[in-house]
Amino acid sequence: MKIELEVNGKKRELNIEPRRTLADALREDLGLTGTHLGCEHGVCGACTVILDGKAVRSCLMFAAQCGGREVRTVESLAADDGTPHPLQAAFVAEHGLQCGFCTPGFLMLVTAALEGDPDIVEDEERLRELLTSNLCRCTGYEGIRRAVVRAAGDMKAFS
Amino acid sequence: MSSESSRYGVEPGDYIGRRLPRVEDARMVRGEGHYVADLRVEGCLEAAFVRSSLAHGRLRGVRLDEARAVPGVVGVWSAHELPELPAAQPLFPAEVLEGRDWPSLATDRVRFAGQTVAVVVAENRYTAEDGADAVDVEVKELPAVLDPTKATTADAPELFEGLSNVVGEWGTGEDIGEDFWKNAPVVVEASYRQPPLAPTSIEGRAFLARPEEDGGLTVWCSHQAPHRLRRDLSSVFEIPQQKVRVVVPDVGGAFGGKSETFPEYLVVAYLALRLGRPVRWVEDRAEALAGATHGRGQNQRVRLAADRDGRMLALAVEVDASTGAYPHYGFAPLFNMLRLLAGVYKTPRIYARVRAVVTNTTPTAPYRGAGRPEAAYAVERTVDLLARRLDLDPAEIRRRNLIPPEALPYETPTGALYDSGDYPTALDKALEAADYESWRAEQRRRLESGDGSLLGIGISCYVESAGVMEEYGAVEARADGSFLALSGASSTGQGHEITFAQVVASALGVDVERVRVVEADTDAVPRGVGSFASRSMQVGGAALHRAALGLVEEARRRTANFFGISVEEVGYREGMLFAGSEELSLPELVERTGPLRVEDVFDPPQAFPYGCYVAVVEVDPELGNVRVLRLVAVDDCGLVINPMVVEGQAYGSIMQGLGQALYEEVPYDAAGRHLLDYGLLDYLLPTFSELPPVRLEEMETPNPNTPLGAKGVGESGCIGVPPAVVNAVADALGHPADLQMPLTPETCWTALCDRSAARSAEVRP
Ligand code: FES
Ligand code: FES
Repeated sequence: MKIELEVNGKKRELNIEPRRTLADALREDLGLTGTHLGCEHGVCGACTVILDGKAVRSCLMFAAQCGGREVRTVESLAADDGTPHPLQAAFVAEHGLQCGFCTPGFLMLVTAALEGDPDIVEDEERLRELLTSNLCRCTGYEGIRRAVVRAAGDMKAFS
Repeated sequence: MSSESSRYGVEPGDYIGRRLPRVEDARMVRGEGHYVADLRVEGCLEAAFVRSSLAHGRLRGVRLDEARAVPGVVGVWSAHELPELPAAQPLFPAEVLEGRDWPSLATDRVRFAGQTVAVVVAENRYTAEDGADAVDVEVKELPAVLDPTKATTADAPELFEGLSNVVGEWGTGEDIGEDFWKNAPVVVEASYRQPPLAPTSIEGRAFLARPEEDGGLTVWCSHQAPHRLRRDLSSVFEIPQQKVRVVVPDVGGAFGGKSETFPEYLVVAYLALRLGRPVRWVEDRAEALAGATHGRGQNQRVRLAADRDGRMLALAVEVDASTGAYPHYGFAPLFNMLRLLAGVYKTPRIYARVRAVVTNTTPTAPYRGAGRPEAAYAVERTVDLLARRLDLDPAEIRRRNLIPPEALPYETPTGALYDSGDYPTALDKALEAADYESWRAEQRRRLESGDGSLLGIGISCYVESAGVMEEYGAVEARADGSFLALSGASSTGQGHEITFAQVVASALGVDVERVRVVEADTDAVPRGVGSFASRSMQVGGAALHRAALGLVEEARRRTANFFGISVEEVGYREGMLFAGSEELSLPELVERTGPLRVEDVFDPPQAFPYGCYVAVVEVDPELGNVRVLRLVAVDDCGLVINPMVVEGQAYGSIMQGLGQALYEEVPYDAAGRHLLDYGLLDYLLPTFSELPPVRLEEMETPNPNTPLGAKGVGESGCIGVPPAVVNAVADALGHPADLQMPLTPETCWTALCDRSAARSAEVRP
């Protein structure tokens, strides 16, 4: 079947099987391999992308559900001139990644959250809920937490 | 060159102990990391495996016709059609394998749920999985045995006909003898179970093989030991090593689970060669949980004797260790365990026996810690038991038994040679950082107030062995002013691209940005061992350090020849050579005298990092939930190259240790099927919510056996946390008799019920 969607600001047309997941469409059909697959059943969050402004598990969505909608992946985070997004910079500065496999998922999860409400980091409970969405087996999460708090500060300072 | 300002704001050559950000992060945060599943190789087919759903049985038939008819399926095979398919390879050659082949696809028998039975190769993964679903496997079920101790009994099902389920038995020390135990002033005994754990790197295993026109083979694999994989592939397929290239791209975590030459890899490589096309296999999560490898999996019986002052006199440990269905990997961690059973104590007599036993479970293999956590747990839990028996504070009993710093280097009765350190200081630091005395006071206060809340404090002191075998390192000065640092190690997330560069840049006195680390490609690095056993920095970093110092010497020799003077007259500083009034930079030297590369192969003795952990926990009296209020980790891993990376390793391994203590276990039903239908909803990895308040404290005693001085890091939390946390929970629950990991709410709640039952029984006349 044919669908049209917007991916990272560009209109894309896809001819896909109805059962194709959004994750596979992004990775295989559009070559956006920054979106990773860690479990393919909605638990780990490595496949998180932003769909119409909300973080979603792209392994749990069919591409066919995304016709006419807007998808953002990790490849869209840095500015066009290559300047990293404050969250990307904070993950580097705070050692928020080791193997890097969960990283794109965390970045998209947190980007959506901070865009929705940068104050989320002020509320320990909401921040906990947010970061509990995704799994990381390497970092023990501490570097991720620091990175998110730092990025929220930086983003506020910028805006 | 030395005056150039560095991006890091650090003087060139001064990089040891600096928190430099990692080189690999730049690509990873952009989604530009490349993992095996991300590679685009022209014409690549995808493989999917059909696995046994039963744990034990005779393979009656595998029907492939329907799968072959699925459009897009290129081929479907069971062992029957592939008589030349090589069998799985062991971690290292050992007698335990005698007569116990592990066919890469099951031949006449299946021995664990998850074992590979057939393979489908198709144009894409969806089709491959359609094909796999259409394969019909008929198995006549046989009784399964899951527990390694039960598997040793006479009526246990025999996994390999005519062969004992006990595949090997090893020991250390002299048998202590029953008389001794009878006469010892105090003896405590306990049994511990180390449940099987799934390593669960977020990226599963992945393997891509491409046959080359010259008869060679190129392989991309998410792996910890590319050169071993090359050797195995070369030997089983009879292709000369120079024609086998193994490339390890970015690896999404490994933790021991990616060290092996797995059956799946051999099937995929075999089919790629046979079909003349690239074939890839990317493991899914269900396969990773059931069909990969598991860690731990043993039963321990421990006896500890002491005098009335709590001075430990003798320790005896008997272990039945499950290797799972095939013993190819699971025996390896047992030697680490045996060697470390003295812990940090001067116990004069130690006797241990371990039996490696096949069972109908997923094969076991080294998993982060690999025998070290098992040893620390057996010792540290039992030391607490002794403290309780003698009514001594757990900190005090440890103090009375610690090996004093002046006794180091110290050879244990188990043959380990502890190199350096200060165990009592580690304990004191941990107690202080945890505010131990105040928590004890708080505990007494709560007990007296009778408010019912359950507070517990647990300590564990550990020592571990880091590094094993040699490693290759080479440093090359290039005419363009850059340097290559080639290592036989192979990062799976540890950050070698910055930490190795820090070592080399510091030794050469050059800008760290000029050093590029090259590893994980057998064509670029001529030999190597890999990354496991906390060996990357301890051995691999040390080899690079020596190679860099060797390069300075070689540069001086060449300069001396060039100017016709003696080596003694040539000075070196920060990438410059000084010969009288002449000056020459390294790139100039290369331009004038040709390529300059110095290699080193270094095989230092094992190092013994150590430390002390303290956990403070609260157990919910009604729900049995454990909450960790405080976790203190004191680690001495020798010289620290990059504290940021070392802390990251500490946090990561602490969380994995916490997972083992409180949440993780691969559950089986009685027939040996994994109870993991909901994948990662059934196998519980710690999330951010489980991260307790952690305090890290460092000690830094350089490794005396390498010029670099690093001891190794990465496994400490997995070793120190489980006994500290379980000791704390046991303390909170009043030391129930049979408290076994993981300490789920149900486990704790049951222990609480038993306690109140026992209490009311006491009250009744
Ligand atoms: S891959 Fe989508 S949640 Fe794990
Ligand atoms: S960095 Fe490896 S899983 Fe998060």
